[in-house]
Amino acid sequence: MAHSDASVDDGTTPESRSTTGGVNERVEARVGLSYTLSQLRRDPTAMAGLVVIVVMTVVAILTFVDAKLLHYYFATHYWVNPENDPSTVKTLMPPVGLTNIFGEGSWAHPLGTDYRGRDILVRLVYGTRIAIQVGFISTAIGLVGGTTVGSVAGYYGGWVDDALMRAVETLYAIPFLVLVIAFMAAFGRDLTYAMVGVGITTIPSFARLIRSRVVSVREEDYIEAARAAGVRDRNIILRHVIPNSFAPVLVQATLQIGVAILVVAGLSFLGFGVQPPTPSWGQMLASARGYLLPDAWYSVWPGLAILLTVVGFNLLGDGLRDALDPRINN
Amino acid sequence: MSEPLLTVRDLQTHFFTEEGVVRAVDGISFDVREGEIVGLVGESGAGKSVAVQSIMRLVEEPGEIVGGEVTFRGETIFGVEEGPDGELREQESMLSNAEMREHIRGREIAIIFQDPMESLNPVFTVGGQLREFIEINRDMDAESAKAEAIQMLREVGIPEAEKRYDDYPHQFSGGMRQRVLIAMALACEPSLIIADEPTTALDVTVEGQILEMVADLQEKYGTSFIWVTHDMGVVAEICDRVNVMYLGEIIEQAEIDDLFYDTQHPYTEALLDSIPRPDQTVEELDPIKGVMPEAINPPSGCRFHPRCPDAREVCTRVHPGAREVTDAAEPHTAACLKHESVFGAGYTESQPIESHAGANFGSGLAARGGEVDE
Amino acid sequence: MGLARYTLRRILQAIPVLLGIATITFFLTNAIPGDPIKIMLGPSPSAQQIATIRAQYGLDQPVYIRYLKYLWAVVHGDLGTSIHFTGTPVLTKILQRLPVTLLLLVSSFTFALVTAIPMGVVSAKRRNKPVDHVSRLVALIGVSTPDFWIGLMLIILFGYYLGWLPPTDLVMPWADPATLEHATTRLDVIVTSIQHLILPTITLGTLQMAAVTRIERSSMLEVLSEEYVKLARAYGVKETTILRKHAFRNAQLPVITIVGLQLTAALGGAVLTETVFSISGMGRLIITAINSQDYPLVMGTTLFFGLTFVVGVILTDLSYAYIDPRVSYGEEEP
Repeated sequence: MAHSDASVDDGTTPESRSTTGGVNERVEARVGLSYTLSQLRRDPTAMAGLVVIVVMTVVAILTFVDAKLLHYYFATHYWVNPENDPSTVKTLMPPVGLTNIFGEGSWAHPLGTDYRGRDILVRLVYGTRIAIQVGFISTAIGLVGGTTVGSVAGYYGGWVDDALMRAVETLYAIPFLVLVIAFMAAFGRDLTYAMVGVGITTIPSFARLIRSRVVSVREEDYIEAARAAGVRDRNIILRHVIPNSFAPVLVQATLQIGVAILVVAGLSFLGFGVQPPTPSWGQMLASARGYLLPDAWYSVWPGLAILLTVVGFNLLGDGLRDALDPRINN
Repeated sequence: MSEPLLTVRDLQTHFFTEEGVVRAVDGISFDVREGEIVGLVGESGAGKSVAVQSIMRLVEEPGEIVGGEVTFRGETIFGVEEGPDGELREQESMLSNAEMREHIRGREIAIIFQDPMESLNPVFTVGGQLREFIEINRDMDAESAKAEAIQMLREVGIPEAEKRYDDYPHQFSGGMRQRVLIAMALACEPSLIIADEPTTALDVTVEGQILEMVADLQEKYGTSFIWVTHDMGVVAEICDRVNVMYLGEIIEQAEIDDLFYDTQHPYTEALLDSIPRPDQTVEELDPIKGVMPEAINPPSGCRFHPRCPDAREVCTRVHPGAREVTDAAEPHTAACLKHESVFGAGYTESQPIESHAGANFGSGLAARGGEVDE
Repeated sequence: MGLARYTLRRILQAIPVLLGIATITFFLTNAIPGDPIKIMLGPSPSAQQIATIRAQYGLDQPVYIRYLKYLWAVVHGDLGTSIHFTGTPVLTKILQRLPVTLLLLVSSFTFALVTAIPMGVVSAKRRNKPVDHVSRLVALIGVSTPDFWIGLMLIILFGYYLGWLPPTDLVMPWADPATLEHATTRLDVIVTSIQHLILPTITLGTLQMAAVTRIERSSMLEVLSEEYVKLARAYGVKETTILRKHAFRNAQLPVITIVGLQLTAALGGAVLTETVFSISGMGRLIITAINSQDYPLVMGTTLFFGLTFVVGVILTDLSYAYIDPRVSYGEEEP
């Protein structure tokens, strides 16, 4: 039985190993892109997640433009007027409508100010840039690295597979955060190393995922056909194996972006990421720690920002997973 | 003739999905008597599995039994009546869920599923699962149930039954697993066993062994069977009477020899024509044109008309119910307007139409055309 | 095959992994720039002093020799001497802090599993009912919230505003009552211990709880639609029995896998939690070590983190094998 389905010689035939009879049809192994998108559009929470992500990304891009090209025009005119005059600086103000020992909140600083009098809202908005940047780039690194490793390992099998997966497992064995911290301690503490470090530590999970998909795809007939027709291995991998393995990877990547944001926030909190005075949510929380009592609200907002963003990615990721799972669509 | 063991009248089971109502079983009627093997034949999607699940009341969301009556030894498994507000509601006399579970399922009616791979729980031993069912359905304690289980495994031809009792499903081959499922059904000593395509997933040789075994066991225990299959060869081998299903309806019902030698419905004929026969050599096989349409939007009139070589214009309008069309000793019904004398729909005057390969062509509205009933 | 052999196999497989961890940590920490010697000795150290210290810490030899010597030492249980905590053997320092971190980890995992498994099962059973929606929302927020932020919020609320629970540190249940104020008996110590443990447990455990709830729910849903569950129903098995026995065991398999994957996140979370609550555990130790460029301490702590992780993985693999007979018994055809 040289069939594509794993030939299990136990008296059953491949065609028969389907789901129960009745109304449901045979389960399709792979789901097309347009179908996926249409399914996604019907899922309100996934759409909500998408909206959040899009908004965050747009804000991130806007802050980039504002910082580099407009020299903080938006920050000063639209978001909030920052205090520039040292004599009038108000530190540790509460949000609008509340009062603390430092004074009364006002619309000039809707979310309050930090210990240096800087407007929290503005810093939050600028923190978006870091978060989005970090999320996407580190996940991209992990994705590309993991895909390469995983597809090579899965496709060639044998000792190549063993060696690569051993290496990957070892990398995986050192706890995430610890590894990244060590990495950054060794090479550099700023954001770039944070992204690269997180990216590298996510390679194992992508590699594993791709590898298992590749292993099942490589048994398919059309791969054999391509090989028989003399197509080069590299092209087979790039044009046939990877595109067909991609669905769960997409889900993983979306969820991973959320995870990356959380991790880098943690790193910044510990002092291993964005260095002050650049605003990042994690780092804002680190400095908020010293002012928990005087101004509790200082620590609330950055955390909420992280929460909201990651929820967005999780909702979208979950929605993608449901859309790509053929069984749920019956 | 004594009371039938199981009676099914106008059973209807629909699935309420996002895309619409799937009329998986749309009014089927048949009986099962003591000691007989009744076949339920049809292509995939005809509604056979849903029908037998309905008998056991195992239909799950979004499916629901919406009409008809099912009785077993006189007790109502399912029935509807008109309530005080004019709406249909379930009969008072219907067995409750608890009663179904305790008295009927496993105990009186047992079912053998199609896929031996998936039907056994991988984390428990085969013997343990068998023993549990025996304990529940034959009110035995664990020890006696275990002895019974081992005995049953032996009966179905599993070597070294006592040792294999402690093995896990993945340590059995497909054929062996199916025997275990059969053992489960027999061990509970039910009056009726529903076998839902039990040999479809098996190699032909293994299938042959299973069929032989079932025939032997049936003689020995006198159990009635409903044998669901799409394989006419299997039907010929073991069934006493047969029901042929198409798109949620029974379109022909007959005693086994009558079905094969005095076929009354074009669909059954086409089924028989499409399988290779060892005693005939043909140029090419003659498959039925087209595919069976979806039960969500059945063709108007006779549901088979788009694929029927004998279809005529009247067949697109009039929906034939099943009626006796011969005077055989054993009632032989067919749902085909060709039998002018029985249906009187004007078939002979009607123009032949071309049967088309496309599904649903000429189906038009889902609403049925008028019944030709008094 | 059996469970015993499988356990042995897993342990043997762990050895090369540990070797790999040691290697990675060695090379990573030796890439740390900065000279701890200069930090120790202050400004303008004499060449003589530098040379002595270097020799003492073996920093005067080429990398590969140091690597081999390091491996040799590790195998013999010698992890070197800390630079920052001058003179203290690294192993001693680690063993001092290890129980604290372990207490935190065990406590948070227990909290997570005890809450998440029932929640997931109930959620699956009452799919799309209000209970389900609530638990899914809680789980979603749980996996999306930074754990250290939860810690901060808890400290503010319960530690300061309400004053119900202490906002810092952990007390070991076996600590000497004399070392604590307000504590005289063993029972007092245990109570204080628990009080200190609550907030950090919730902080660290929330992420695990949320992740496990999600997988428990989806796994139960999947298993409940399996053929063998339908068969059990067809044979008259009670619904509660199906849930408890037929479905539950199978559903735990993916859950265990996820718990295994969560370990690495949990260890990272421990570092953060210890920082927020100023707990003297291994997490804070490694941060201190890195910040003070204490090579031996960094290597030792990383190694121990890896070791903890590997032990955790072996435990999860064993639980998996315990439930799923296919793993340890292998495929045998008659």
